[in-house]
Formats: sequence, structure tokens, C-alpha cells
Amino acid sequence: MIDEETLAQINGKYVMPPEAGPAWRAAAEYGFDMSLIEETLRMTPEQRIEQHQRALNLVLEVMAAGERHAAK
Amino acid sequence: MPQNDKALLSRLREQNVEFVIIGGFCGVMHGASIVTLDLDICCHFNQDNLRRIEAAVKDLNPHHRLTANKLPLELTDELCGRLKNLYLTTDLGTLDCLSEVAGIGSYEQVLHRSVIKSMSYGEFRILDLDALIAAKLAAGREKDLDAVKLLRAIKERKEHQKDLFE
Repeated sequence: MIDEETLAQINGKYVMPPEAGPAWRAAAEYGFDMSLIEETLRMTPEQRIEQHQRALNLVLEVMAAGERHAAK
Repeated sequence: MPQNDKALLSRLREQNVEFVIIGGFCGVMHGASIVTLDLDICCHFNQDNLRRIEAAVKDLNPHHRLTANKLPLELTDELCGRLKNLYLTTDLGTLDCLSEVAGIGSYEQVLHRSVIKSMSYGEFRILDLDALIAAKLAAGREKDLDAVKLLRAIKERKEHQKDLFE
């Protein structure tokens, strides 16, 4: 049976790493998804750029769809 | 309009443009999970370097994106001497070229506070993390101050966990 803590994590609770310092905690409390930052920091700068390009393409696609919709 | 930062960077490098990557894209390279719609660079605004920038984008339909009539990029010796910034739109996306960065200073000062990142398509200089934080603080907009929170967290994490990619 899944315990309550694991269930909370499955449901999106971020577990602060034990080494997290005050700036990391402040960013998490501000609302940044620090689990994503942890993943990104394990990437090379080139991988980060590729990830950014994919996200950017999606944003631009959504913006273009919005403009098309507004033009109708 | 598409935004292909890799292609823009490759073109600048092919033309030997002297520049340092700044702004949100620099934050992305440091590990920030933000999406930025343009590529910002700080560069030498001497005539040679400006001509190299022009050569890098000349077949990309470059225009001054902030001018009312979207004037095409057509540099002259006289214009080169008067430019401080170039805000361009191209077929590969937006490219903003600045001669100085608030909170840091001139290109020489920006260069002094830059680090080299190696990519499969070349080596590029980007603002170091402390300088990027200073620049974002100086810019002072809400989104910049949000980014500072994230960049400070990344800086702290990198200082404590040395096996992360710089």
C-alpha cells in the first residue's frame, strides 16, 4: 500500500532536497517548480537550449493559433 | 514567426561576430526554466563588427523591428557611427544587439564578466551567473526580478553541488 507521503508526492508535492539552501527554498516557496530546475541542471547547456527551443516552438504555435482565431 | 536561436548563433559565429549572449537566453543556458522569445546579445559596435552582423543576417530579410515602417537593415558608414543598439527581426527570429548592458556596462565590461560554453556548433560567450543576476536586477522589471529569484537558487545549488553542468 502506498503511504501518505508517497501519495502526496505522486499528487505533486515537491520534496525539498536536504541540501537546499535559503535561495532554493525561497524560489520554491515563490512558486517555481524546482523539480524542473533540478532536471535542467543535470543537462548540458546545449540540451537546455534544445529543451528551450521545443518549449518556444509550442508557445509560438499557441500564439499563432490565437492570432488566427482573433482574425476570424 | 519562427525563432531559431541555434541557427542565428551559428550564423553570427560563421561571420566571426564578437558578441556575448545576454538576457533570458543566457538564463536558459545557465539552467533557468524560462521561455524567451528573442535572442539578446551584447556586442562591439565598431563598424567591422556591425558589418559582420549585417553579413550574418543579410539573406534573412532583416528589418529594424521597432521602426514604424520596419525599415530594412542597410548599414552605412555614417549610420554605424551613430548606432547604440540594433533591434532586428529576421526570417530566423528576433535578434537584439546591444552595445551595453544595464548593471554591467560596456561590451568590454560584459566580455570581462563572461564565460565560454561549448556547443556542438561552436563555442559561445555568455554572461556569468553573477553578472546576469546583476543585469536582471538593474533591468528591474517584474519578470526580471522573478528571474533573479530563480538564478540565485541555481547559483546556490551549483555552489553546493559541483557535479552539475555549468
